[in-house]
Amino acid sequence: MTAVHQFVPALLPRDATGDHTRALRDALRAVGWESDIYVEAAHDELQHEATYFEKYPDRARPGDILLYQLGTSSPVAEFLLGRDEPLVLDYHNVTPESYYEGWEEHTATKVALAREQVAALAPRAVLGIADSAFNAAELETLGCPATAVIPILVDLDADHGRVDPVEQERLATAHGDATVLLFVGRISPNKAHQRLVEALWVYRRLYDPEARLHLVGPSVTPSYAEAVFAFAAELGLAGAVRHGEGLTPSQLAAWYEDADVFVCLSEHEGFCIPLLEAMRAGTPIVALDAGAVAETLGSAGILLSEARPATVAAAVDRVHRDDRLSAWLVDAGHHRLGDFAADATRRLFVEVLSGVAAQEQVVA
Amino acid sequence: MPTPPSAPPSAGPDADSGAGSTAPGGTSDVADRIRYLDEVMAEIDAEVRRRRASGDLPAGLERELDELFLEFSPVGLQGRARLRETLSLVDGSAYVDIAVPTASNKAVGSYIKRAMRQGLGWYMNFIVAQIVKFAWSVSRMFHVVVDHIEDLEAAVEAHRTPDLPSGAVPTASDGTTWWAPAAAEALAGVTERVVVADCGDASLVESLVAAGVDAYGVDPSDVALEPALDRGVDVRAEAVLDHLEVVATEALGGIVLTGSIQWLRPNERERLLELVASRLAVDGTLVLHSASPGAWAASAPAVVRDLAPGHPLHPETWAHLLGSRGFAVRATVTGGDDRRLDRVGEKLPEAGSVNAAIDVINELLLGPTEYLVVATRER
Repeated sequence: MTAVHQFVPALLPRDATGDHTRALRDALRAVGWESDIYVEAAHDELQHEATYFEKYPDRARPGDILLYQLGTSSPVAEFLLGRDEPLVLDYHNVTPESYYEGWEEHTATKVALAREQVAALAPRAVLGIADSAFNAAELETLGCPATAVIPILVDLDADHGRVDPVEQERLATAHGDATVLLFVGRISPNKAHQRLVEALWVYRRLYDPEARLHLVGPSVTPSYAEAVFAFAAELGLAGAVRHGEGLTPSQLAAWYEDADVFVCLSEHEGFCIPLLEAMRAGTPIVALDAGAVAETLGSAGILLSEARPATVAAAVDRVHRDDRLSAWLVDAGHHRLGDFAADATRRLFVEVLSGVAAQEQVVA
Repeated sequence: MPTPPSAPPSAGPDADSGAGSTAPGGTSDVADRIRYLDEVMAEIDAEVRRRRASGDLPAGLERELDELFLEFSPVGLQGRARLRETLSLVDGSAYVDIAVPTASNKAVGSYIKRAMRQGLGWYMNFIVAQIVKFAWSVSRMFHVVVDHIEDLEAAVEAHRTPDLPSGAVPTASDGTTWWAPAAAEALAGVTERVVVADCGDASLVESLVAAGVDAYGVDPSDVALEPALDRGVDVRAEAVLDHLEVVATEALGGIVLTGSIQWLRPNERERLLELVASRLAVDGTLVLHSASPGAWAASAPAVVRDLAPGHPLHPETWAHLLGSRGFAVRATVTGGDDRRLDRVGEKLPEAGSVNAAIDVINELLLGPTEYLVVATRER
């Protein structure tokens, strides 16, 4: 029986990589394969679904294929480098350390280590799976012998995005008729939240003096988050910038539903799931063309070549003011989502991993 | 406003998507969508230009916003006000109060606390005196450091060069100059966006666009850009450094540098090179046009030579600077006005000596006036 076991540094609930890992395990088991998850750490809720990675040697069987969910540094990488089993990388990108330098040196060191681990693992892998061509290109540059682009498994069922009416009412009451710009993503320098604040400031100056900016995501780089909010306060925007974190899926859906325009000015994105969430919510998108954003977005949004606040503000105004454009973008987003349907993605994973299994049997 | 394509966007990937299946609407459907979005984007750009021209967006405003944000970053402490503000926090923290609060919800609690404060006062005084002494020493050291930094800043400011008269600032050569065909040839086949710095009237931008290159221009002079804006060319009124700051990493397929890059200050030149190396995609093309140092020294107006913060570099120097940042120089071409003296006929008396002298003069003083460096980003 084919066995593809996944390794992931941390298995967390309501986390993109964690959800993807578990969904992939279920997909592999559904076609009759063996598939377990090995971790360095797991959240209490998911302890029963994970095994500590150093226990794998006791359970290893001939013919096993190991698949590493790679997005951060971990001792798991060193462990896998010492194994003989065929290795498949599922690469979700690592933010370059330059984004953290000057903000958090320990994070810069950590991501630098992660990039070193990617460089060591890429030539060792039989296949690199990447959720974007942008990520695949990085793997190829690092010597990965073969790559395949398969989107991340995202639960985009309508039910998953059901809106919390209480949260929605609370948000609407707070801002009234003001235009609401939304960005969802961890507060980290590569996401360029300061550019969103700048854009809001210009937008209020030129188009809507009551406009608000809603930021949803954990403050994973505290010094940067403090700077962003202090910057907003200095510009007189303390009351216009609202931060949400630790939201339930239905609360998050309410923030999307409440927004007029989803604005992404990230400078480095390996895929950008929030773009898909905005499409699902029917929120028109304005985004900076950086990293994998263009290929994830397709033509379902206004793609900017620069993040200059005047340009961002003008684009937001255009999308907000032009109903036909807005409706067209929302429609394009709904169609674009079809390309990331979980069924098709599951089939692609099984197909690609079947190829790896067949190839390894021939070699054996 | 442009009209959206009547057919709804199809499922499937867009032109360069890496995921999904083929669009059922066919390539014309995809082309319609791209054309529509391009038209919308052009109108957005026009709106920004209109706002700038109307004064709604004062020049330098966006740069000021960026600088303001830096003041809140850990690396933004170079701001004098920020330094003094932080120093005042240190001063405030250097005082240790030994009068411990004795209030309590319970009457007996307050009594006990007062008794403890009185009983331990001699001990706390002894310890706190040493802590305060240490804190004030540290604070004093910071004051000395800040004073020293401010002295250094004043000294640096004293060496600041005055701005050049606006008329002395060189404008880019137009697209009909000797190097335009070489630039177009170097950029042929580049599919990503190409920016032309100090584009002036944007003739070069237009000739690149005519050759199928997705080019646009930037120039700090609104006046210089007016003809281009009238012709509807995609240009932005900003300096190349300001522009590259806000361009996404590896977003450009080509960069053409000319004009003011010839006399950037050393720190500005370093910053420009850093930006070029990060904004240009791997395998992207850099085209750099400059006056030759000798020709510049011989022909630039006296005011420019005296006040210019920098001066043109030799092509070999650019090759060195670019090589250290992962670029490989593909070609160096010289051109411009040929001011060299003709050699005299061999039959004339002393022709050999005269021609040798002419060769030396040509080599040292009258060589090519300009050059073009074409480089590729390799890593």
